[in-house]
Amino acid sequence: MIEVGSLKARMESTPGGLKTEEYFVNMGPQHPSTHGVLRLVLKMDGETVREVIPVLGYIHRSIEKIAEHLNGRQIVHLTDRMDYLSSAMNNWAVSLAVEEALQIELNPRIETIRTIVAELERIQSHLLWWGVLGIDLGAVTTFFYGFRDREMITDILEETTGARLTLNYIQPGGLMFDIHPHFVKRVKEVLAHLKIKICEYETLLSENVILQNRLRNVGILTSEKAISMGSTGPVLRGSGVALDLRKQKPYGVYGSVEFDVPVGSVGDSWDRYWVRVEEIRQSMRIIEQLIDNIPEGKFMVMKPAKKLTLPKKSYFGQVETARGILGVYIQGCEKEEPHRVHFRSPNFNNLWVITQIAPGGKMADLVATLSTLDLVIPDIDR
Amino acid sequence: MGFLSREKISGTQVVGDKRISTVQAPRPQRKSFFFNLYFGTLSLLKGMRVTARYFFRPSTWVTQQYPENRQELKMFERYRAELTLKYDENGYHNCTGCKICDSACPNNSIKVIDREGPSGKQEIDRYIWRMDTCTFCNLCVMVCPHDALEMTGRFESSVLDRRLLVYQLNRYAGATKKNIEKSKDSESKDLLLKSFESRTFYEGAIPLSTSDEKGIFDGRI
Repeated sequence: MIEVGSLKARMESTPGGLKTEEYFVNMGPQHPSTHGVLRLVLKMDGETVREVIPVLGYIHRSIEKIAEHLNGRQIVHLTDRMDYLSSAMNNWAVSLAVEEALQIELNPRIETIRTIVAELERIQSHLLWWGVLGIDLGAVTTFFYGFRDREMITDILEETTGARLTLNYIQPGGLMFDIHPHFVKRVKEVLAHLKIKICEYETLLSENVILQNRLRNVGILTSEKAISMGSTGPVLRGSGVALDLRKQKPYGVYGSVEFDVPVGSVGDSWDRYWVRVEEIRQSMRIIEQLIDNIPEGKFMVMKPAKKLTLPKKSYFGQVETARGILGVYIQGCEKEEPHRVHFRSPNFNNLWVITQIAPGGKMADLVATLSTLDLVIPDIDR
Repeated sequence: MGFLSREKISGTQVVGDKRISTVQAPRPQRKSFFFNLYFGTLSLLKGMRVTARYFFRPSTWVTQQYPENRQELKMFERYRAELTLKYDENGYHNCTGCKICDSACPNNSIKVIDREGPSGKQEIDRYIWRMDTCTFCNLCVMVCPHDALEMTGRFESSVLDRRLLVYQLNRYAGATKKNIEKSKDSESKDLLLKSFESRTFYEGAIPLSTSDEKGIFDGRI
């Protein structure tokens, strides 16, 4: 038994004072704030995080390998299951690569509808993130408000595509269905509704002092580090780099619409928060410009059962999803099935940022940082 | 508002060879203790006013009571929950057993077994669908050249045994409505109608027994 007096003497005699022992904590694989089966091994010193080691593989489904057995049209439905909150954009990336291989020319109607659906998907993804951010930081109300407004958009997508998350709507050569007759009317209703609601979001969460103090100067990611880690999307834009593929290499009809790219200044969690909220507004602006004049035309330019023989070359399609740049690399081998498929998923790079920005912060800050990185775990493992 | 300006700070940034118009994020300001206390409480009350407004207005409630509202609950017409063969008012379907849906299916959820009809024409014998492996991608409906398939909105498909999710879609094995109409005389028409065999959900070796699943799963993947 140690006497109190001797402990005190030892504390005083230790150079630099008494220190706590470092220990390891498993955050996940089942943890509510990782939004999936992500496991983070944390090296802790008291409440301070010293090191973060992400452990992957809990939801690996070998999508890239399965895709080697499928043809270009069948690969599309697998990408729904990667980043399930931006499934329309994932479908689009594969379609771009396959269309490049087969040299398919699309009509303006297809391009316009694709753009509108992708932007709707982006809005619903950011709304879900907004709600979940609240619940991660202890504000349960935002969760319900975010889901309530997201529900209106998923209803539109459900009416047109027949599914809520796994849309499988954008196909090589066009679209699976034409838009539903109610589509335009309902999109306008949602835009009018959201315009009021976003002001409400600002009052409820953005202007809340507790939220501002939880996010400000937490998890600072400098622009140099963000670029060197390969992060994209709102994470990179939050660090002040205005890299947006919709501006940089316009696909669809992004070249002909006006929108601004929101950027942060410091690169902390607050900047990433604000960039996403502003992106909802910019997406609404894009849809407003397009919704009134959707051109006439076919919704599919080739026969639905046509053989998609991929010539012996490599093809690359990339789009800006709600979380960053998704690249799809397809190597053809004169067959329907590709020789190799690779997905460059935005979440993988955005996750690795956490190993650089979390050390030195507190455990509770790690939750806020993870939440503003907006990770979707199935996209990391694929 | 003392903490956050709602004014937009727009600017431009050159990334690569493009000049990109940007909006700068505002910074929340940290001020003196009493300022924070005052505006912090004010921002909390403002947020609570939003929630209170919803609390006292039942017209803004969006919750649906699911099992109770089954009667009114209607899915959208395109909703993808169950694959079915289309039947007309006389009970004929359009499926010829051409197996295009079989080859288009990404995960071998469809197995079409055809047979030779009385006139030597290809006919559907059994249309087996594995709901347990289906991802509802709608490719089978998209590629069908005879408009024989559709996805319906019957989403309550939970069962206690996984094997019950493998079943036959066709109610009969035999010719399509088109082929019956095409037959020249009543004799050949009777011959076609006589060759009809009824099929039920779980009939046959494959759908129910796991030991015979080889019939469905021919090892393509």
